[in-house]
Amino acid sequence: MIRDSQLFQPFNDEPISVVGEAGEWKGGFELDVEPDVLRRMYHDLVAGRMMDERLGRMQRQGKISFVAPTAGHEGAHVAIAHALQSGRDWLFPYYRDIGLLLAFGLPPVEMLAQALASRADTNRGRQMPSHNGSKALNIFTIASPIASHIAPAVGAAISMKVQGSAQVAVTSFGEGATSEGDFHAALNFAGAQGAPIVFVCENNRYAISVEYNKQTGAESVAAKAHAYGMPGYTVDGMDVLAGYYVMREVVERARSGLGPALVEMLVYRYGPHSSADDDSRYRPREEVEAWRRRDPLQRFRRFLGKQGLWDDEAEATLRAEIDAAFTAATLEAEAAGSVPLEWMFDDVYAQRPAHLEEQARELLD
Amino acid sequence: MAVQTMVQTIARTLDQEMAADERVVVLGQDVGKRGGVFLATEKLFDKYGPDRVIDTPLSEAAIIGSALGMAVHGLRPVAEVQFADYVYPGFDQLASQVAKLRYRSGGQFGAPMVVRMPSGGGVKGGHHHSQSPETHFVHTAGLKVVYPSTPTDLRGLLRTAIRDEDPVVFMEPKRLYRAVKEEVPDDPEFLLPIGEAIVRREGGDVVLVSYGGSMAEVLKAADALAEQGVSAHVIDLRSLMPWDKETVLDSVARVGRVVLVSEAPRSAGFVGEVAATIAEEALDMLLAPPLRVTGFDTPYPYAQDRAYLPGPNRILKAVKRVLEY
Repeated sequence: MIRDSQLFQPFNDEPISVVGEAGEWKGGFELDVEPDVLRRMYHDLVAGRMMDERLGRMQRQGKISFVAPTAGHEGAHVAIAHALQSGRDWLFPYYRDIGLLLAFGLPPVEMLAQALASRADTNRGRQMPSHNGSKALNIFTIASPIASHIAPAVGAAISMKVQGSAQVAVTSFGEGATSEGDFHAALNFAGAQGAPIVFVCENNRYAISVEYNKQTGAESVAAKAHAYGMPGYTVDGMDVLAGYYVMREVVERARSGLGPALVEMLVYRYGPHSSADDDSRYRPREEVEAWRRRDPLQRFRRFLGKQGLWDDEAEATLRAEIDAAFTAATLEAEAAGSVPLEWMFDDVYAQRPAHLEEQARELLD
Repeated sequence: MAVQTMVQTIARTLDQEMAADERVVVLGQDVGKRGGVFLATEKLFDKYGPDRVIDTPLSEAAIIGSALGMAVHGLRPVAEVQFADYVYPGFDQLASQVAKLRYRSGGQFGAPMVVRMPSGGGVKGGHHHSQSPETHFVHTAGLKVVYPSTPTDLRGLLRTAIRDEDPVVFMEPKRLYRAVKEEVPDDPEFLLPIGEAIVRREGGDVVLVSYGGSMAEVLKAADALAEQGVSAHVIDLRSLMPWDKETVLDSVARVGRVVLVSEAPRSAGFVGEVAATIAEEALDMLLAPPLRVTGFDTPYPYAQDRAYLPGPNRILKAVKRVLEY
């Protein structure tokens, strides 16, 4: 759907928000999202949170080696996923995107199998947890090096343009990524090509311990878009509907051939950078608590309540269903067993060359 | 057949592959209207237009990284890095993304793409237009590395590289771009397999193993040896990953003496890998230690580049040592 006029002006001073802290609609335009979609958004917010909690427990139990906590990012995740067409558009995510991947359609069993490096992992146990990917769903497999996936996303978008496929690529990253040269190289190329891509910065204000004001002198990430010839928007990322409306606008803009955009979603990571980090060394607890009070799940639940779409019973049912589904998925992923040793030598190339055959024999015979 | 230089062969091969497969696109700095600074993509822009011959910003990270995304989305990109010396801003894309995508995705995604780069010295270009970085790529699992030295080999190998399901770093000895003209097969299905060496000259006294730009010097050395009554068996590796161990080991086992020539720096250089393999698998057949003739472990020099590059005199000295051992 292409609107007659844009709802949002780029390079805005105040973060775009359409739902207030008390859950009241304050968009200034008519809400046009169907109740079923609103309920699905809430499902996806809760699923993202519950998967994060589950993976955290599994890490503490020693079942998985690592996790990159995502609680606090779910508003951005669900906003991105719902603005895209799953199965058609492409996602180039980073490692703090649990809720995004699930909302885009990644089956929970695949996420859990990847974390466990079990035989059910479609990525065949090749990476540490939080590094999913799915060719079937057009989800480019996550890589750790920061910002290295952004130029590939631009290449895919150029291919979409050349082939006239009316698809859109979306790539996500933290604000730390905006300091890498590859971020600049990628946005610059996308701007020059008018490629159908949306860059989403999940700005949680900390790259591990380094604060935003040590990362850049720019007043916002969105402001950087100006230099690349594309619009930039700063959005309250704890307001899922604000993110959704902005994403919907820029995704359709890109799809209709009007070029790329940069969207900065202001979020917060409640947990440490990773299971190997201690965030109490660099963040005051009061700050964390203040952000938790702005929680995207709570705000959206209040909104649904005011719309007459949600109550305590629906909440209990939803959580029980998700928990049961995740438990079943965990058991399925674990039951598949561990990956065999000989897989180590596969998928280096499409066919295993002679020297890798030799090295495999050296290890296995 | 047509008589062509190496650089003419690149443009002709790209043209044929682009005509045969609309997924093939070319991208890089100056590859469009300019036809490449060496004219390796000459006339392609006029024929195929800006959607398939893409002039990119001056950014190797953008060139190599976006080529990967194009490959993942169904194109067959052939990226040009203007000089191998300038690959480093794009090296993270090659090492972290391109080389590892198939592996890290469990084979879900591949990276069928070619990164061409004019390589090596001998053009009075100083160290930033002359380096031989092939070992970096060989050491990065997931990349294939090809380094032809003749127009015919370039024709067959570039075509194979474009059709390959895996990423190929395609190194081109720029000092031979216009040095040799030969009859090149114009058959659009003429292919050469990656990983096969070729014996350039049969001989029984010493094996000379080399690749890329140094092949010209090795053949000159072989001529000089022939005048002295020494018959050299000359192997052009053509591919470095994977490389043709059998051809090298068979020849070394038969002749017993081997000199390995590469203009890349010596320490941990590719021919050191060949020497180690010979030592591990053919020690009993050796009549003398394998000797390397290589560039030195200095940055590539400007004023002294002729002395830096392994020339016939240094090769002959090494041959003398293995013959007299």
